[in-house]
Amino acid sequence: MNTEKGEPKGRTLASFTIELDVYSGPYEGLLALILKDELEIFEVPLRELVSLYRNANPPAPPGEAPGALERDTDFVDSATSLILLKGRALAPYSAEAEGEDAEEGPSPEDLEERLVTYLKIKRGAEALRERISGNAAYYPSVHALHPRPGRLRISPNRLATAARRAFLRTAEPGVGHLGTVTVTVGELVALIRSALVRGPVSFEDLVRDMDRLRSAVAFAAALSLAAQGRLTLTQPEPFGPLTLEPPK
Amino acid sequence: MSVRRDNLEQGTPDAAALIEAVLLVSPRPVTLPALLSATALPESEARAALEALGARYSSESSGIVLREVAGGYQLATNPSCEAAVERFREEARPAPLSGAAHEVLSCVLYLGPLTRAGVNAARGVNSDAVVRNLLDRNLLIEAGRDQTKPGAPALLDVTEDFLLAAGARSRDDFPALAEIVDEAEISRVRERVSGAAERPVEAPHGGDG
Repeated sequence: MNTEKGEPKGRTLASFTIELDVYSGPYEGLLALILKDELEIFEVPLRELVSLYRNANPPAPPGEAPGALERDTDFVDSATSLILLKGRALAPYSAEAEGEDAEEGPSPEDLEERLVTYLKIKRGAEALRERISGNAAYYPSVHALHPRPGRLRISPNRLATAARRAFLRTAEPGVGHLGTVTVTVGELVALIRSALVRGPVSFEDLVRDMDRLRSAVAFAAALSLAAQGRLTLTQPEPFGPLTLEPPK
Repeated sequence: MSVRRDNLEQGTPDAAALIEAVLLVSPRPVTLPALLSATALPESEARAALEALGARYSSESSGIVLREVAGGYQLATNPSCEAAVERFREEARPAPLSGAAHEVLSCVLYLGPLTRAGVNAARGVNSDAVVRNLLDRNLLIEAGRDQTKPGAPALLDVTEDFLLAAGARSRDDFPALAEIVDEAEISRVRERVSGAAERPVEAPHGGDG
């Protein structure tokens, strides 16, 4: 963070690096990935993040860590944004609940059951952490011997199974249910262009008498023409009526 | 001890020596049937020999210990010697697992085999990245598919490496969840939820929420 006196001395937030399951590197890189939607905020353990920051930047007496206040402020600022983002992501219905068809949340009984299950999982995880850390210092024997050439005994059945697996071709999915394609994009491009001569046309009207295959190909043709700038597609809202207009 | 030395000098190793030799050349735990097959010992003799080896390789007196883990037996270094071993091998221990990773393992261990969606639902957050990491570390494995769900998603289960890491003989070696979680704590959660449900909820932004 730049101040009037320039870059504060001491460690800045830019030098704070983190090591998480989902990301390893500079903290600012993590923020950038989240903002670019390249990393799910769900997957970022915020509590662990704060602990890492506190371990990396222990409190120091005033004057001994120049720039610490600015750095801490920056961190708190970004961390609260992350909490807000995560909170919103975890409660997706809160914003939509104001609208009409808001989905109802879980019943108190469901919520209670979920919380109790999670509590059990959490306590189980704590017990596991203790157990795994208590067993981390065992190093097993590393006397893995290489098989001696010509001495390795392999049963013919095992060899046959291995060969079967190695040469197995995955069965290709059947396409019999798809039916024969009897229409081309070119034909429907011509149809759309002739319809547009009379002015804007609704996609629904255009495909009214068509079967599913022809409707799908008509949609592909419309997209293709729109991409070439030979028509304009208008849709006031997602899943709303689609109108094809001649280019302006 | 002298009988053992005499046996070895005469070229007739005793049961403990045979088992000791097989365990030494195996980096993975060796199951009892595999030990019996390799040493051609009767089961009772092998079990007695394993008991003798356990006493000889006790953590109080030896740098090597005999572990009964992941369904088998394994020779490993005594944890009290870890600093010397790590200096000698010039390698650091792998980074410890995160809290999220322990939670995912706990989900799969106690509720599993479980699909990724099942893990996400139990934890209330997306855990796909953590699951990926645990699959990479070979602590979880995709063991079959849930044919009852659309798309038959993969079922996750814990691995032999997980049992090794936790020092467990099998899945049954873990305490039941009921023993880990305090009943009073569960009651507090239930009370808190029912208390919140009874209280009128304020509608956000004055809407009907």
